[in-house]
Amino acid sequence: MVASSAGAQNVLMEIRNVDKAFGGVKAVDDVSMDLRAGIITTLVGPNGAGKTTLFNLITGELSKDSGTIKWLGNPINKIKPFQAARAGILRTFQDLRLFNEMSVEDNILTAVEDNSLPVPLTKSQRTARREKVEYALNRAGLFTKRKIRAKDLAYAERKFLSMARVMATDARLWLLDEPASGLDPNSYEKFLEILREEVKQGVTVCIIEHNLDIVIGISDRIAFLDRGKLLADGEPQSVLNDPELRAIYFGERT
Amino acid sequence: MEAYLLNLVILISLYSILGVTLNFIMGYAGIYSLAHAVFFGVGAYAGTFMAMHVNASIFVTLPVAMAAGAILSLILALPALRVRGEYFVAASLGLQVLAVTIFSEWKSVTGGIGGLIGIPPLNIAGFEVFKPSQFIFVTVGALIIILFVINRLVHSSFGRSLRAIRDSESAAAAFGKNVPLIKTISVVISSALTAVAGVLYASYLSFINVESFKLDTSVLIMAMVIIGGTGTQAGPIVGAALLLLLPSLISYLDFLPQTEIGSIQQIIYGLGMALLMIYRPGGIVGRKKQSETGKE
Repeated sequence: MVASSAGAQNVLMEIRNVDKAFGGVKAVDDVSMDLRAGIITTLVGPNGAGKTTLFNLITGELSKDSGTIKWLGNPINKIKPFQAARAGILRTFQDLRLFNEMSVEDNILTAVEDNSLPVPLTKSQRTARREKVEYALNRAGLFTKRKIRAKDLAYAERKFLSMARVMATDARLWLLDEPASGLDPNSYEKFLEILREEVKQGVTVCIIEHNLDIVIGISDRIAFLDRGKLLADGEPQSVLNDPELRAIYFGERT
Repeated sequence: MEAYLLNLVILISLYSILGVTLNFIMGYAGIYSLAHAVFFGVGAYAGTFMAMHVNASIFVTLPVAMAAGAILSLILALPALRVRGEYFVAASLGLQVLAVTIFSEWKSVTGGIGGLIGIPPLNIAGFEVFKPSQFIFVTVGALIIILFVINRLVHSSFGRSLRAIRDSESAAAAFGKNVPLIKTISVVISSALTAVAGVLYASYLSFINVESFKLDTSVLIMAMVIIGGTGTQAGPIVGAALLLLLPSLISYLDFLPQTEIGSIQQIIYGLGMALLMIYRPGGIVGRKKQSETGKE
């Protein structure tokens, strides 16, 4: 195992023996894996493999049946989604869940703010917030569209807004649920460039992705899930070249 | 005629307060409450109780009424806001029904079905306001202050959190919003401000009974908000004015048979509301249908 850069192998998140069943179906079955700092870990696997469920378990959207998850060395087993966000773990949704009636700018602004009480912000807080929002708007190429309501954006722009909401924050770990699906080749080139740039600046990413070109293009590590079980977790080439996994992935199950 | 107009403007501004405070939770946080008249009533009864038994100064009646509204709303909000939207509607309906019973039965405070008479006039720093020509400044002034407060809230980060929760609760939580807490705070603020209208209403009429605080009133306030424009600043005021003016306007149409005026009014209301919701679901002040604004 060769790290892409020195010191990049610190484990940010430790997932151990995590289980989740829906009725009789084991959606996540005894999964143990690490998310290492400063790299992109890709979750691959057929539909229904438990990839999104794993995200939901990490952020506390769903509660685990058993197992433990540690974040920066501390257990976060009873965490609620808003606490996960404040701890630096952010996620996107496959169906985006933008704040549709709000402007592009307000969508990002809201993502940056995590105060619950109706108290005014200080001037330095406002300035810091403004800078983050502008940074994300520019990165995502949405600056000229900042006053438009989210629901009036085109499809690709909506996907970039979903990314911009995460980019504007100081989160250390991004859990991205199929952020590139349905993008045209130009847009996903741009998307990959953004992602690589952000990782270079220290963000850690765990991404669910189906498109093998993208998977090969960005992954530092690949975790392969099928029917809730983690079948492989390692270097991209070794996982992708495993004939058994290929068979499962391409539906040639035996 | 002048007295008639003054009375109308006072009532419109009082109902506008009710509409504006309901719109705060309905239009911005997506919390649909059928118990708004309860907080109106709690404000009226609490303010009246203080005015009759302790001190009629608004510096006593208003804070007590607002606190009473806030505390009661906590009892509703704490359990009901932890669950999804539909349950809040049901819980608020339950509270409305329960409150009417309490308003009718708790004779020592509410005067029972008969209500309370001889409520002292509003006392502002020793100055008694009872003439409609003076009272109008109080109610319009209260409306302006409440509008200002809510406007500030809506345009703060708190207001953005409310709108985010309305648009997607799970995404709001995923970006660090403590959704139950934010919703609870919004309901408490709304209820406390609603109680202000109750205090003013009681001292203006110098008589209150449970009839003013029933489910009909809650539904009427909600209709004002929806017809005027949910989630807009001016909508609830336009809605309140329209729904309070409509009966008088209809009674001016002499070609209508005067004995049937009640049912004709109902038909006009019903038709108007149905047509409005089909052609302008955002209300009179609200945005046009999405297909008309569309994408650029």
